[in-house]
Amino acid sequence: MKPISQLLRRLVDHGGDRYTYATDPRFGPTHAEHVPDQWVRTTCGYCSVGCGILLGTKGDRAVACKGDPDHPVNAGRLCPKGLSEHLTIGATGRLRTPMLGKQPVSWDAALEAMVDEFTRLTTAHGPEAVAVISTGQLVTEEFYALGKLVRLGLGLVHYCGNTTLCMASAVSGYKLSFGTDGPPSSYDDLALADCLIMIGANVADNHPLLVPRLMENRHGTLVVADPRVTKTAMLADIHLAVRPRSDITLLNGIIRILFEEDLVDHEFIAAHTSGASALRAAVDAYTVEHVAAECGIDAADLVRVAHAFGRAERAMVAWTMGVNHSVQGTETVALINTLCLITGNIGRPGTGPFSITGQCNAMGTRETGFTGSMPGYRSFDDPAHRLELANLWGIDEARIPTDRGRAYPDIINAIVNGRVKALWVIGTNPVVSFPNREVLEFALGRLEFLVVSDGFETPTTEMADLVLPAAIWGEKDGTFTNSERRVSRVRKAVEPPGEARSDFDVILDIADRLGVRDELFPGWKVPEDAFEEWRVVSRGRPCDYSGITYERIEREGGVQWPSVEADTAPGGTPRLYTDGVFNTPDGRARLRSVEPTPIADQPRPQYPFLLNTGRTVEHWHTRTKTGKVPILERLAPEAWVEIHPDDADRLGLRAGDSVRLRSSRGSVEPVAVRVSATVRPGEVFLPFHYDEACANRLTPSEFDPISREPNYKQSAVAIERLHA
Amino acid sequence: MTFEAVPVALVDKPRRVREMHGITESGPGLLPLDAGQQYRFTFDMGACIGCHSCEVACAEQNGLPADTAWRRVGEVEGGQYPLTKRYYLSMACNHCLEPACLEGCPTGAYEKLANGVVAHHADDCIGCQYCTWNCPYSVPVFQPDRKIVTKCDLCRPRLDVGEIPACVGACPTHAIGVERVDVQAWRADHSGADAPHLPPSGLTVSTTRIILPDDLPEETFAASDYTLQPEHPHWPLVWVTLLTQIATGVMAGAVANGAERSGSLAAFIAASIALPTSLFHLGRPAMAFKALRGLRRSWLSREVLAFGLFAAMTGAAVLVPGAATATAALAVGIVGVYASARLYIVPGRPSWNTPLTIVQFWATGLAIGPLLLAAINGPSFVLRALAAVGSGVSLAAHLANLARLARDDRFEHRGTWTLVRGHLRRPFVVRVTAGLLAIVIAIVGPPEVALVFAALAEITARWLFYVSVVPLNMPGGFFRGRLGAHR
Repeated sequence: MKPISQLLRRLVDHGGDRYTYATDPRFGPTHAEHVPDQWVRTTCGYCSVGCGILLGTKGDRAVACKGDPDHPVNAGRLCPKGLSEHLTIGATGRLRTPMLGKQPVSWDAALEAMVDEFTRLTTAHGPEAVAVISTGQLVTEEFYALGKLVRLGLGLVHYCGNTTLCMASAVSGYKLSFGTDGPPSSYDDLALADCLIMIGANVADNHPLLVPRLMENRHGTLVVADPRVTKTAMLADIHLAVRPRSDITLLNGIIRILFEEDLVDHEFIAAHTSGASALRAAVDAYTVEHVAAECGIDAADLVRVAHAFGRAERAMVAWTMGVNHSVQGTETVALINTLCLITGNIGRPGTGPFSITGQCNAMGTRETGFTGSMPGYRSFDDPAHRLELANLWGIDEARIPTDRGRAYPDIINAIVNGRVKALWVIGTNPVVSFPNREVLEFALGRLEFLVVSDGFETPTTEMADLVLPAAIWGEKDGTFTNSERRVSRVRKAVEPPGEARSDFDVILDIADRLGVRDELFPGWKVPEDAFEEWRVVSRGRPCDYSGITYERIEREGGVQWPSVEADTAPGGTPRLYTDGVFNTPDGRARLRSVEPTPIADQPRPQYPFLLNTGRTVEHWHTRTKTGKVPILERLAPEAWVEIHPDDADRLGLRAGDSVRLRSSRGSVEPVAVRVSATVRPGEVFLPFHYDEACANRLTPSEFDPISREPNYKQSAVAIERLHA
Repeated sequence: MTFEAVPVALVDKPRRVREMHGITESGPGLLPLDAGQQYRFTFDMGACIGCHSCEVACAEQNGLPADTAWRRVGEVEGGQYPLTKRYYLSMACNHCLEPACLEGCPTGAYEKLANGVVAHHADDCIGCQYCTWNCPYSVPVFQPDRKIVTKCDLCRPRLDVGEIPACVGACPTHAIGVERVDVQAWRADHSGADAPHLPPSGLTVSTTRIILPDDLPEETFAASDYTLQPEHPHWPLVWVTLLTQIATGVMAGAVANGAERSGSLAAFIAASIALPTSLFHLGRPAMAFKALRGLRRSWLSREVLAFGLFAAMTGAAVLVPGAATATAALAVGIVGVYASARLYIVPGRPSWNTPLTIVQFWATGLAIGPLLLAAINGPSFVLRALAAVGSGVSLAAHLANLARLARDDRFEHRGTWTLVRGHLRRPFVVRVTAGLLAIVIAIVGPPEVALVFAALAEITARWLFYVSVVPLNMPGGFFRGRLGAHR
């Protein structure tokens, strides 16, 4: 009887009991499974906008994400990644146990092996034999602790992060102009500016929750400079469809018009900058006609933009990877700074050169990390800074390194030439994200010992000798700092799966095994202990956290640094350089003049198209997380290449066809053709999220000489139809 | 900046409603309806940035599996580089004033509520999916894990307590809104629901108010246009329609040729196989009896009734043979086939939406039924002639319909011809060749051989009928077609 009644039940049942609604006290009626027992206030772990999220938990599961209605950044709204972020926590493909040589081992065995191997190699070959590459996605407390562990505990020389693939040029550019890093503006400024120029920034796809700020700005002129007609470009009042890498020419052209028509702020230039006369001479050749022709834009549009910017009471420039991902990224950033400086557009509402950065806590590692600079924007080559840190930490000054060591791409080179023999990769997936994948894979294959800490199985963990399973967003405590310097809390809502541990725990554990825990991390138990030390270490520095406490972040919904202890302004400091005093020795900002260099990998008969790479709203970086969220995968399941209708006609391609993309470095296939007039004839666009059709098999090993950031955005490729 | 974000047309709702339902804090609430009003969605094309937050919010709100989308974002592009424009259409149910889903439903699972929501009651749904053919926006979707159809209900549980729908609350740019509309005024002028690549609003009087951007290019294409893909073959329906039509054709031959008893027996057997086969089409076959509820408006209910009756009458004609009982059964069969064909004559499915569908369904029965009888009882001139006419008319109707569709510039009309000419070319050649041979052999050859060709022609034709239809739909995104026609 039972099977029959079960059969009958199955025939009649429509699963209605799985689809019932319950009332959440805060958000009202919702599918019952998504009504949590409690909401945990936290900050999104994807991009650097830093949206406030309420993460709902039911028992030991994360069941819902809602925008925090009280958060100053996003006022209750989220992008699709944020809205589904709880699904990353229980996703498939999580790492649950340490794996040594593909075999599960205990944490003891794993960390013993790691410390032994690192010690063996540094003893035999010196501290240069082991390198570390971290990320922009740990909490600030972990970055601070990790820097001390790597530089002082392990005593390593080569330590960098995937932030070099992301915003290193913004850092270097700020340093060139202002003496230190630090984005001077706030999101509110996007809404306040009378003229806003966005360069290589498709926020509609990549920072969606900044679009409301653009929409709030009803009075100003929005200019977008981008070779692609992105959704952001379509929102613009003036879209400058500049040729790739012509942004320097464009900026020089605007600067020349401003000087010619006397739309510069002489008073500000005289009082707060140096280098004006050299700049004036350097831009002299950039006539309107020359610039318009080089950039491929209307001369009238160029003049309109220069006038709008020059005549604006409040003018602002914002940029993202279109600028940073270039061999001239640093200099382009410096030139953007220059444009703002000569018009006095800095330190006031609605102004500033504003780098909208990439990862959720790239800012945290910029400030506290020990990679490109020392904690608190201190310089390796400044003896006073080294002494200051030695005193703060109570260690011998000789232990503070005098050199930053190799940057990310140079670490890869050192692996290739055999000088670096072991690598610890933390929270990043270089196999997919580093340019020229063939070289990267060769390098990782050469290592004697590769350790990878990650929350998920990735193509990089596949290559690892030792895999350390990490707690991810939602499973650990700390703070993130967003693009506008706002320090927000991230909270642990659920336990990590299996034996996975937070990086903070692992860092302390390794220090313990090295016998340096009491020295480096005295009495530390929880991330807040690291934060409290960091407050002291940052005191008096440009990125001063001394006035920021967990309690105050909670009360004010995030605090923007700098914030000194006496500071009582709610929410911290919205803008830097309000007094026109910069962090250079003489307090003056530097006006840099820059000449453009041509694209190295020029299209040619064998590789006739210029490939641009970038993102789509549904995915994050290498899809380690978003690829495990079913609804995001449904929305963007595979890579596509955007190609202009004229080119498609010429190649006999139609939308939906499968093609192979080939550069002199490698090829990817199959890629679906999307015919669209959003790209210029001769140029194509490929998203870089997909391991399966990895854009970085095509990109070149070209790096900015200063920031060491890769040139992801211009590669010459051929397109070949695949016959199904 | 040139665009305007449209505010949600709402005010704070009375505190009382919220507290009554245990809601202590929330966003803006709904205004209560006045007489003659209903709620509806609004959508501002100029404000939407295509971020898909609405889709995720909808899935979360309703606990939907990833393959079931109640709200979808389509993309429309036009213009020349660099003046290219791409606009998005985020659409869910339009909560129409004349909901076609409701009209067609055989079980009465749909209800137009007083607040305007076109509600679907899961308990009454048998998973026949007829509503998915009827809706010109392809809004109702068959949800595989539930084996029934589901759809957007404008977040009815939220409306009931004065809360805004989840998609509205999630939209970062306030492109989606909810507002009240005067039903009579909207019925008089519903042009505000029209947008490029959407079916004309008049088909069902869609209520969604769409604010078009002022710089929409004159010529646009939808990102999903390139992905013309064959639809589901609906195999159970291929067999059910063929069997019921063959049974009717057999009865026609029997009446014309005076072979009532064997004809009725064959027809009875065919109908008796067809009726249970139809259950395989249903998501919830155990609830099939509910299909009779909708006799007053659903052709599906009428079809079920007619063929139920037909099976009984052919059975009776076996027991009580004679011209009278056979003719009566034939008459019911003809009506049944008519009802069957009327199912498919819906605006949402242009290639079906023609009287030729009725002609073809009748002709199919005639093409096979008499030959079956001839194979059993021996050939006769009448049977041969009927079969040749059946095959001829079936083929002619098929070709005439394709000619009609090929001449029409509308995407979904031409689409069927494009599919038949391209992707489905081989089966189409088989269908035409077998049909021609069936005509010739029916007249001059062995009826068994003619039967084989006629069956091949009609089975292929019926399969093509289902797979070559291009439903009206909302414009889709680039990946819709790559994942299947229903995304």
